Amino acid sequence: MKRASPLDTPLGRGAIQLTLVVLLLAAWEGGVRLGWIQAFLVGSPVGIWHELVRDVSNGSLFYDTAITLYESIVGFVVGTIAGSLIGLALWYSRFVARTVEPLIVAFNSVPKIAFAPIIILWFGTGLTSKIALAISLTAIVALIAAYQAAKEADPDLQSLLVTLGADKNQVFHKVIVPSALPGIIATFRINVGFGLVGAVVGEFISSQHGLGHLVFTASSLYDLNTVWLGLFTLMAIGFALYFIIDLVERKTLPWKLDGVRQDLRV
Amino acid sequence: MALPAPITTPARPKLSLRGIAKRFGATPVLDRLDFDIAEGDFVSIIGPSGCGKTTIFNIIAGLLEPDAGTLLYEGAPVDGLRGRVGYMMQKDLLLPWRTVLGNVVLGLEVRGMAPKEARDKAMDYLATYGLAGFENAYPRALSGGMRQRVALIRTLIVDPDILLLDEPFSALDYQTRLYLEGVLMEAVERFHKTVVLVTHDIDEAVALSRKVVVLSHRPTRVKALHDIDIADRTPIGARSDPHFSGYFHALCNELDIQTKRGQS
Repeated sequence: MKRASPLDTPLGRGAIQLTLVVLLLAAWEGGVRLGWIQAFLVGSPVGIWHELVRDVSNGSLFYDTAITLYESIVGFVVGTIAGSLIGLALWYSRFVARTVEPLIVAFNSVPKIAFAPIIILWFGTGLTSKIALAISLTAIVALIAAYQAAKEADPDLQSLLVTLGADKNQVFHKVIVPSALPGIIATFRINVGFGLVGAVVGEFISSQHGLGHLVFTASSLYDLNTVWLGLFTLMAIGFALYFIIDLVERKTLPWKLDGVRQDLRV
Repeated sequence: MALPAPITTPARPKLSLRGIAKRFGATPVLDRLDFDIAEGDFVSIIGPSGCGKTTIFNIIAGLLEPDAGTLLYEGAPVDGLRGRVGYMMQKDLLLPWRTVLGNVVLGLEVRGMAPKEARDKAMDYLATYGLAGFENAYPRALSGGMRQRVALIRTLIVDPDILLLDEPFSALDYQTRLYLEGVLMEAVERFHKTVVLVTHDIDEAVALSRKVVVLSHRPTRVKALHDIDIADRTPIGARSDPHFSGYFHALCNELDIQTKRGQS
């Protein structure tokens, strides 16, 4: 049997990942210093560092991050919960579900970002419009996923509950919701990203604060280092949120992880 | 070997099917089905594949409505026996997100039993059927035989009037199957249950039942009724009974099963 390489461990993989990032940054900085690439158009790692130190010490980076996080998390939570509940509720009535399904599909096929200008008109230039945009992006994804997952619940399990004397509500609570949960939670990963998209695009269009505001204004001033700072911060946020979702999934679905896991070599 | 003539069931049967018919689209599946099941009886239903055995079950369980005919429960017409039957299928139908204990209490929960009481009762049953210590395991960590044993406990614990078993053991290996047949028979005797078993396995039908209903090809009617008179009702004992092979061959003939060498 083939033995795993000593590099194929959490520590080894981490070291390789770090080396790759450091090499990339070094090549970037080197290229700028040697005049091969224009700092004016791409910025430079050292310049980004200086920007980071400045925006951290004057507190503006934290403020912008907090604003964007707030908009995207509220948008994500409200949109996902509302969408999932409506999607699950559609299970109750096949008539209603079949009637609204094409409408939902039609709405979903519009790039929701195109609604952004109207949403700003309706909800103003403050935080509410960004939250509304994030909700419009996440709710529809959650709704479709939850409805689909509820529809796919094993009919035999539903029959079993009925033979045990369960009514429709009991079937819903004991079979439909738990069997749809993995599908619903899987959309959290996508929706966390959509929440951020909603917040940032909203800030692009009209805002006074937030990371989207930071990136947008800096790029119109050709301040590429600040643009990168904003982007890297968004990346860090997205990364952190993803891990939180991962944790939630593990805590909510312990039955998926139980049992012996075998690493089969293919 | 001479078989007893089709029987007429005594006085008032537990459950009667009267002229039950069902079609799916243009395909007639059940064509005026009549038979009775007596209190405490163990009836097997055998028939060629696709003859609608599971459909009969779904009608009795109240999951499907027949197009025609009546279902009589203790003499009174009913729509189906929702909440009064224990239904077991080839699939164990354990809820994967619930532990063994959570699965066993499912029916009690549906009936609104207090959680503490349900839990205590479930723990008793788990201990009786050799699953103590597994109450917190999730189904995917269990073997097929153990999962089906959990399904059997879940079925028995709600004390159903009638057990409807739809090939419950056919996905298991032979040893596990004999073992679970034994567990089932013991429970049936102890709690005096009425059982209806659908099986394609003639061997199982003869070993377990007191009465066998043979169905025809689609559109399905009752082709014959056989009483099985074997004193020893343990799975292995019944299979070693001198009458066993006689019943077995008679039923094979009834189902038109052709074997190369013909019948003994």
